[in-house]
Amino acid sequence: MHTLQFMDQIWSDIRAVLPSTETEFSLEFSDKVEPSLLEILKQARQQLYASADQSLCLERAQIILDFSWEKLNTGTWRDVDKEWRRVYSYGCLFKAVSLCHGDAREARVQEAIKACDMGLLMGAAIMDDVLQKLVRTLKTNLKTKDSHALVLSDQPSVKRVKRDCVSVPKIVPATAVPRIRCPSLESFRSDFLVPQKPVVLEGIIDHWPAFKEHPWSIDYLRSVAGCRTVPVEIGSKYTDEEWGQRLLTVNEFIDHYILGKGAGGIGYLAQHQLFDQVPELKEDIRIPDYCCLGEGDEGDITINAWFGPGGTISPLHQDPQQNFLSQVVGTKYIRLYSPEETKYVYPHQSQLLHNTSQVEVEDPDMERFPDFLKASFQDCVLQPGDVLFIPVKYWHYVRSLELSFSVSFWWT
Amino acid sequence: MSQQQDIGLLNWFGFGFNGFGQICSRSEFKTDSESIKVTSPLLLKLCYGAVNQKGESNLTSAERSVNIGASWSRRATIHLNGDSYVCLSGFGSNSADGDRCDHVLESRGCTDALINESCLTLSFVDKIEGWCHQQHKKALVWKMDLHTPDTTGIVHSLRLPLVPGGYIASKPPFFRPLPPDLQAVHLALGTEHVILLSACGTVYTWGSGSHGQLGHGSLVDGKEPRAVEALWGVPMSTVAAGGWHSACISAGGDLYIWGWNESGQLGLPSKGLKEERLNVKRTEQTRQDEGESSKDVLISVQAFPALIDIARETEITKVSCGSRHTAAISSTGNLYTWGWGNYGQLGHGSECSSDEPMLVAYFSSHGLWVQDVVCGLWNTFVRAVQRKNSPS
Repeated sequence: MHTLQFMDQIWSDIRAVLPSTETEFSLEFSDKVEPSLLEILKQARQQLYASADQSLCLERAQIILDFSWEKLNTGTWRDVDKEWRRVYSYGCLFKAVSLCHGDAREARVQEAIKACDMGLLMGAAIMDDVLQKLVRTLKTNLKTKDSHALVLSDQPSVKRVKRDCVSVPKIVPATAVPRIRCPSLESFRSDFLVPQKPVVLEGIIDHWPAFKEHPWSIDYLRSVAGCRTVPVEIGSKYTDEEWGQRLLTVNEFIDHYILGKGAGGIGYLAQHQLFDQVPELKEDIRIPDYCCLGEGDEGDITINAWFGPGGTISPLHQDPQQNFLSQVVGTKYIRLYSPEETKYVYPHQSQLLHNTSQVEVEDPDMERFPDFLKASFQDCVLQPGDVLFIPVKYWHYVRSLELSFSVSFWWT
Repeated sequence: MSQQQDIGLLNWFGFGFNGFGQICSRSEFKTDSESIKVTSPLLLKLCYGAVNQKGESNLTSAERSVNIGASWSRRATIHLNGDSYVCLSGFGSNSADGDRCDHVLESRGCTDALINESCLTLSFVDKIEGWCHQQHKKALVWKMDLHTPDTTGIVHSLRLPLVPGGYIASKPPFFRPLPPDLQAVHLALGTEHVILLSACGTVYTWGSGSHGQLGHGSLVDGKEPRAVEALWGVPMSTVAAGGWHSACISAGGDLYIWGWNESGQLGLPSKGLKEERLNVKRTEQTRQDEGESSKDVLISVQAFPALIDIARETEITKVSCGSRHTAAISSTGNLYTWGWGNYGQLGHGSECSSDEPMLVAYFSSHGLWVQDVVCGLWNTFVRAVQRKNSPS
């Protein structure tokens, strides 16, 4: 093993991502950022370029992260000044880079990737998206190592997606959401968008690379995003008392919650803008043409990933935008109630959950919610390749029937 | 006076974040890391100089009375007896070599001082002044005249941030009026919330409630001061506020605490700390299934006051809160700390956090009686004297 050579390689790759001199590395902030913290930022920068001992820079990086983390937790997320999200990203940058100096063991590189991801998840873009560039560099280096490991390991990889006992509901024609194959823009507009009627669109995403060039599989997701840190919801549904969020790498998530024994509840990589975090995955999908019927720009469309085992549940809720829920892997049962049925679905009283129904749709408590059965609904089982149009404010309940990956497009 | 008493008076200690030398000059440490994180109590070298032209103090040690205030990057040492004044150390003090701190000329004759990251508020008998840093210069940014003792006949005895008629906030508008019927005797500022003690011992809170820090049982914000009903009927003697948590002590010496428990700052089992420990385990490749081996009730937010028991102590006399840690003194002169410890702010000689109150052994093992504690955001300052009958 040419370890030394490898370390030199990674360090020079990283340096190539950074400005070549300290003077070209600018640290400009508004006066929201106190001079004292700016002093620490400058110390970190100086140590990054001048010091042989990167532990000094790492120490400053942690101060910057701790300080800005407290600012990110002050006030509601919406109101946090963007400067603090930038400062946080600088902290992540200093941390990631100093972790890879000298002793660049795989664990340190993995930790550096996590630092970049934390910046991408909670920070704001800095230095022309340097964290995205850095993570690409680190991943390439990690991959070089991985391929070594693969050659060395002669154990067959035994992988079995865990089988879940989930009941598959029968869809009766009376309640089934209508299906239509590749309608024209105009007929979709007049028949479904204008009257705000749900419909399953067939055949409109078959051309995605996610089905053709790189069919999404567990191995593929590992290779593209395995080392990336993502937020995972733990607990079968977000209204549960025990529900919580944890940051895990995609590999850890797959090992523990997709392939694992499932001890410790159900894990769901839900409502996460994975495609902004991992641009390679965005290459595999396409924004449906029908979104152009909306008033917003393409940039206003929010794309979320929903990846989890069978048995994940999104309780009955409504969203403030139109939605194309696109099924790529596995199947999902979906129940829809029009906004006119709101009086029968018992929304939560609290400000935080008032868009969520209190009723367990497939096992309603008839004593507490006697009117729920009066509500009329439609339902469907989404198959790979199906796209469900959910009109704005339409109540929807979603349960995965097996390992599932869906992509939602929220648009206006 | 005996020498012992002399030692007893030069008696402030500090530990925790020292990134700007606000506890002790950073050049006195062997390594960079040790100089940033002071994990065990260090005796502060307080400045008594610059009083006369020879640089000698005209006070005997027995006449000295010193208070400490701290912001994230600075420490204010407030000399109160005789010719009172404030010294600043840490970020921006000219004497980078450390322990000789900057004498703030404008502070001559002050009765109290309050420091935050941008401003130094000075209280005088007849006025309040706010000195802030603007473009690397100290400038008087606001001022408020008080009725002089001649007209009212009494000198107010309020401690900052309380001032007659209101309190001083950390952001403009600095002066915020308070309804006179609250009869505030003590007030503390959290990052986004305020806690107030009235003359009859009732606790009021207002501001952000997102982490349960108001103690009203919800996560809702409050615009106006509202009594903490759960404490109704238990008169309180002092209040304190951390970044996102609150504390108060009853007249009987019981400690109540509420708000965010992310780092164990409430002294209750913390979900955040448990997850941190799990993460450490995971990177050490000793992963076991995180089976719910312990069925502890973990608390991340405590929206009602909780009574905190400290082993072997029956009465708490003083409490102070940092950003994410808490320190309390017992009637037996012991100091306990808990919460976030990554910068050594708990004083246990490590960078560990703790979600249960732990005795700071330094003081008890050195025969010191702890009298006062003031938490900075990421550090802690303690006043202690020799115990009278301590074995020498």
